[in-house]
Amino acid sequence: MTAVTPYRSDLRAGRDGFWQLVRAEWTKFRTVHGWVAGVATGALLVVGLGLSFAAGSHSSCSKGPVEVPCPVPPLGPGGQAVEDRFFFVHQPLDGDGVITARVTSMTGLIRKPDATPGVRNVVAGVVPWAKAGIMIKESTEQGASYAAVMVTGSHGVRMQHDFTEDVAGRPGGVSPRSPRWLRLTRTGDTITGEESPDGRRWTRVGTARLEGLPARARIGLFVASPGDLTISPNAAGGSIAASRFAEATAVVDRVSVRGAGTGGTWKSDDIGVTTEVDGVTPHHPGRLERSGGTFAVTGVGDVAPLTGESTVERTLTGAMAGLIAVIVVGVLFVTAEYRRRLIHTTMLASPRRGRVLAAKAVVIGSVTFLAGLSAAGVTLPAGRRILRGNGVFTQPVPLLTELRVIAGVAALLAVAAVLGLALGALFRRSATAVVVAVAATLVPYVLAIMSFLPESVSEWLLRITPAAGFAIQQSVPEYPQVLAHYAPVAGYYPLAPWAGFAVLCGYTAAALALAAYRLRGRDV
Amino acid sequence: MRYAVYAEWTKLRTMPGPGWLLAGTVVLTVALSAVAASSVTCASAGCGHDAARIGLQGVQLGQATVALLAVLMVCGEYGTGMIRTSLVAMPRRTAVLAAKAAVLTGLTLAAGTAAVLGSVLAGRLLLPGSGFTPAHGYPPLSPADGPTLRAAAGSVLYLALIALLSLGVATAVRDSAAATGTVLGLLYLLPLAVRMVADEEAQRLLWQLSPASAGLAVQATTDAAVLPLGPWAGLGVLAAWASAALLAGGLLLRRRDA
Amino acid sequence: MEATIEVSGLRKRFGATQALDGMSFTVRPGQVTGFVGPNGAGKSTTMRVVLGLDAADEGSALVGGRPYRSLRTPLRHVGALLDAGALQPSRTARDHLLWLARSQGLGAGRTDALLERVGLAAAAKRRAGGFSLGMRQRLGIAAALLGDPPMLMLDEPFNGLDPEGIVWIRGLLRSLAAEGRAVLVSSHLMSELQDTAGHLVVAGRGRVVADTSVADLIEAASGGQVTVRTTAREPAMSALAGAGATVTVTGRDMLTVAGMAAEHVVRLLGDRSVPFSEVSAHRATLEEAYLDLTRDAVDFRGAAR
Repeated sequence: MTAVTPYRSDLRAGRDGFWQLVRAEWTKFRTVHGWVAGVATGALLVVGLGLSFAAGSHSSCSKGPVEVPCPVPPLGPGGQAVEDRFFFVHQPLDGDGVITARVTSMTGLIRKPDATPGVRNVVAGVVPWAKAGIMIKESTEQGASYAAVMVTGSHGVRMQHDFTEDVAGRPGGVSPRSPRWLRLTRTGDTITGEESPDGRRWTRVGTARLEGLPARARIGLFVASPGDLTISPNAAGGSIAASRFAEATAVVDRVSVRGAGTGGTWKSDDIGVTTEVDGVTPHHPGRLERSGGTFAVTGVGDVAPLTGESTVERTLTGAMAGLIAVIVVGVLFVTAEYRRRLIHTTMLASPRRGRVLAAKAVVIGSVTFLAGLSAAGVTLPAGRRILRGNGVFTQPVPLLTELRVIAGVAALLAVAAVLGLALGALFRRSATAVVVAVAATLVPYVLAIMSFLPESVSEWLLRITPAAGFAIQQSVPEYPQVLAHYAPVAGYYPLAPWAGFAVLCGYTAAALALAAYRLRGRDV
Repeated sequence: MRYAVYAEWTKLRTMPGPGWLLAGTVVLTVALSAVAASSVTCASAGCGHDAARIGLQGVQLGQATVALLAVLMVCGEYGTGMIRTSLVAMPRRTAVLAAKAAVLTGLTLAAGTAAVLGSVLAGRLLLPGSGFTPAHGYPPLSPADGPTLRAAAGSVLYLALIALLSLGVATAVRDSAAATGTVLGLLYLLPLAVRMVADEEAQRLLWQLSPASAGLAVQATTDAAVLPLGPWAGLGVLAAWASAALLAGGLLLRRRDA
Repeated sequence: MEATIEVSGLRKRFGATQALDGMSFTVRPGQVTGFVGPNGAGKSTTMRVVLGLDAADEGSALVGGRPYRSLRTPLRHVGALLDAGALQPSRTARDHLLWLARSQGLGAGRTDALLERVGLAAAAKRRAGGFSLGMRQRLGIAAALLGDPPMLMLDEPFNGLDPEGIVWIRGLLRSLAAEGRAVLVSSHLMSELQDTAGHLVVAGRGRVVADTSVADLIEAASGGQVTVRTTAREPAMSALAGAGATVTVTGRDMLTVAGMAAEHVVRLLGDRSVPFSEVSAHRATLEEAYLDLTRDAVDFRGAAR
């Protein structure tokens, strides 16, 4: 046999590395029009459905026959929408000062569903978060900064300030035989709340710093009572929450106020009261009945962050339709190769199979993330604008939260596409992979908010299935000090935004790892 | 046509997938129904729940496997190129689609009947434990009761119509991933989207037009009056969807190159 | 790195079928090695194992001394054509090569040069789904040549080609081998490899039946026989037999001589003045030689059914 000189290529040596694989997969992705169109469809569904929902939402308010602009809820010092409606008996306070008072009783009325149609069914009772106590507030404007210490219907003594902050004191209610003494002390912009069973032994409940509290503030007694919340099943699935009128009356005595500007007459204000059709008569007014040093104050409403109004993420409901589109593309990105046996060529070019899958995940994840980001980034502000134009108020949220919602929805789409990819690699069959991916992400969500399943089951579905990832879009948190319909159907998820998203990521990582393991072990 | 049906039946029978999917339909339907029947509680008389709808809740899940079966029946052949063999053997394309539809209907009716009877049985056994007792105004679920029979038989028909709708969509779309996505979107997303519509009148109209929402109206027994559509009218909406999908699929199958 | 493909002792079982049963051979640089055998002999499986697509139950397969799956830019070492239909139909020919080039860290310019080389430059921007089988084969060969590899493995590259295409591939394979590359070409039709392969690996029932140069194989099949046409049968027979050859009468004026080269026969008969009208060496065709070798394997398979 003659000696042969083996061939030597004069082609410049190629670089090897993960980046090359990613570039190869990106080239594959962008050169199949169907896939690019699929991701674009996903993005357009987010934009189109979001904007058409916004355009289809109208809200109109009228007083009698006259249509008026809907009232916009006040904003608290933190920028969030708040409810600020209560009965306030107050005096001016210039600079530092102290108020002390004794609450001896708390009673109230609650309207229940009518037993006989047309006849108001009102019973005696106090709702759990009815509040009566003392308050220092920047002004009588709705949404103005405040700090208060109070007795509640069934959550004991609390110190709250600026709507979202809440500290628990001693539990238990009040009665003439076991009254509660409350004290608020202002030193500069720091306010300290204390309570006592007898007016001698005081316990500190909490301290609040009210940034920029002006020298002239208001100090006095207040009472509020949020509506009574009832939740009933809906015939079409899910449930309906209804809030009915409730008022609370507190009897307060031994009131003493010290500080510059105090000592004058008490002034009563029904903060935030609305009027009847005539524009004059107050609707569900509060009142003060005073005999000597004893004040009987009746109030309606609440001093708390708003929970029931529409949230910004409502403009992103199209993400669920986009989700199916990107899952389909994610699945096809790998199953199409199996179907055409192109996977052989891919594996010849890059025999390290786990890295091929990783490169595919990077490409499909980045593409859907960017598509989702631009779609959500356009839809949320535009949708909110349309909603505002249609008279629908959306709750303002901090900029960081808004960015989290936008990026979160984009990340949700990206991770779902990667989940589709992983399942496609695992099953090698498009239809099976799509069904499993949709059944894992969307179906639990649909069952959680559309079916008769009780809320506890719905919440478990959104804790343990990949659908937990939808939590990333929740913009308004649950407040323990506000009784509301905190259910998936109302947009509240059982897990915190990042925790829910982590559940989805965990499932996706597991699917990807399993797919890589199977890919390495099997003949292709 | 008879031979076409035999051929389709033989094709299905000789693959392991369809058997598993039909078994999956029964198991998933009964399982979700049982979960619903044991987790929804009725604390007092007049709790407002529709016991039959709760007992048949599993159809929400069973419809996915039925749809998958229909999609695979068509797209599986496009994926492997066997569709060309099928169309060479049976050049009358409408007949091929009709044969597929006939076989699919028969199979889903059989599996659906098993699934629904299992669900009713599960509901009968589990619902009283959740407070759906005669004392609260809920007699045990029984197919002998008129409205319950309508709900049960309607659910079986619902599954068969979902299968036909999926078959039509799959024939029109051809790619299995895209077809599955479309069908699942129709089944699960549309009802969700309808819920998001703020305008009540538009919502009602969309509800009446959505195949899954309207079709499942057939499960209503005590709720029937409050739903936007009557039980049979609702199933009719779904039937219209299924016919339209089959028609579109059939036309495209005839006109397109295989 | 030696540009050699080495397969040793491969075994692989698919259920009840023993697909590979101790397959061993070496593909050396500088020549086209034909890999032949009847359908089901294990040719494709061997290639898939060499390329790391399938895992063997036993044995090793090395390209340039290393397992394929340990190569970082494998297409720079081995180019392969397995299945010309393995394409995403909606992607253009150029884009198909582009993503492959990207995966090896190669520039986009390489793709156009290759499309030119395989004669697809005009179809570069057409969707590969609309290609004829011949065009797909050309695209597959372009993909195999993308990394300018010293080793090439082509599975049934002649399938579906028109005569012009077959001639083109034969020429291409010869020139690739002449550059010093190791080229392995599988085929189930021996005739396709005539005039192309210098070396042959014949497979049957999952193992190597013969591993030989083409010249030796034909020599062996021909058995060195010479045919003599003469009117003087008897004198010729005695002269040849006397010189030590084995002579058989095969016709009225025909003799077959074994054990003596044709030139020797001519000289001997000339010296003895025995008249003859024709002396010809009997040359078996590659096809006959191959059928001889594989008959056992095929018969065995037939009998086993």
